[in-house]
Amino acid sequence: MVHLIEFWDYLVQFLVCAAGCTGAVKTFTQNRRQPYFLLACFFGTYGLGTLYWTLHVLLLDTTPQVFYVSELGWIASYIFLLTMEMTLPSARELRFRTKWSWLAPAICLPQFALYIMYGDIFFNVLMCMGTMEAARLSIRGLVFARRCGSRDADKTETRGLRAFHINVLCFTALEYALWTSSCFWVSDDLRNPYFWFDFMLSGAIFGMLPATRKAVRA
Amino acid sequence: MTYIENVLVCIAAPLFITMLCVGRKYRASFVFCFAGMLVCLLSAYLNTFFTIIYQADTMNAATQIAPVVEEIMKLLPLLFFLIVFEPDLQRFRLAAMLAAASFATFENICYLAENGAGHMLLLLIRGFGTGAMHVVCGSAYSEGLRFVWHDRLLRSVCIPGILCVTIIYHAIYNLLVSVGGSVQVIGYCVPLFTLAVGYGVYQFARGRQQRN
Repeated sequence: MVHLIEFWDYLVQFLVCAAGCTGAVKTFTQNRRQPYFLLACFFGTYGLGTLYWTLHVLLLDTTPQVFYVSELGWIASYIFLLTMEMTLPSARELRFRTKWSWLAPAICLPQFALYIMYGDIFFNVLMCMGTMEAARLSIRGLVFARRCGSRDADKTETRGLRAFHINVLCFTALEYALWTSSCFWVSDDLRNPYFWFDFMLSGAIFGMLPATRKAVRA
Repeated sequence: MTYIENVLVCIAAPLFITMLCVGRKYRASFVFCFAGMLVCLLSAYLNTFFTIIYQADTMNAATQIAPVVEEIMKLLPLLFFLIVFEPDLQRFRLAAMLAAASFATFENICYLAENGAGHMLLLLIRGFGTGAMHVVCGSAYSEGLRFVWHDRLLRSVCIPGILCVTIIYHAIYNLLVSVGGSVQVIGYCVPLFTLAVGYGVYQFARGRQQRN
């Protein structure tokens, strides 16, 4: 039986993704900028993954038994997010190196070790690799913005991208919080932090649209 | 038991003769028709194989194994075409559509051979639904890659992404169709609705581009 809180959680996330996808497609048809296409793909794939999961639980009253097809959608969304992280920054930022980037593997790898104790190795490798790389690139972007954004010429550009990097970092952090909470809490009520992280994640997903707009304008 | 290899031979033989008779420039189209039907046949074998390996029931096989196997198999000839022949977008689009349509046709024929052709209305709905679903998945490659076609790196990043999209879309369709009742009818209508929305967005974008 699907619990009410679980249903609302998935529904809200799907609606957020659908709204984000519509917004991204609309912006893309207006100005034909590639990041909006990638953003639409990000929203679309994440939303499809959530929709499949919701429908499966709702119609068959059980989670998938052979393997989680919806995880493919979420992995695809990380691919598109990563592509945006690789194509949006300037050439100078792409060449920039900082030791702070190591924070991403330092935090993500122990979490990954925890996840493979509970779940499938193949999917965890793909999901953790995608999110870890996104986190690494966003940390690099934030450090770059702090170091180089003091000059007037760079201010507008780095400020626009900073919002995008912060959003990606929040998204990644919430994903990890979500996965970690699912290892320790299994209840289907509001005391389970999983649902709170998932609601916040929906907010972070929707935040991608204004953040990307800001980054593209900069 | 359905001998689908025999069905494939029956369909492919006249097409093969026709291919030899028409001009060279049309041969590639026929090759993609054969490729679509052949990968459908191979998908059927692989579906059975994985269903036995995972000891899955019909529902789990239809909603979790078949979409993954079929979409990966459908991508293989397109990937080969893309890597070896490096076609332009128009040719790639045609190849994707033909492979998808012939895959759907062969799947429908196998369904007929297995379940009979007694229910005209159901077959009509199923035929359009399945056909539209495979065409949507096929056109996802050409339409999705259109915006990143000029950039090889982005193209190679987008292909696995689009593959995942098609797998999930196919899985959602199979899930809705397998449940039965009114949900099944909704499932058959989803690809037609997707095609209509896709066409609407395409026309809207084109109109806007012409105005600018």
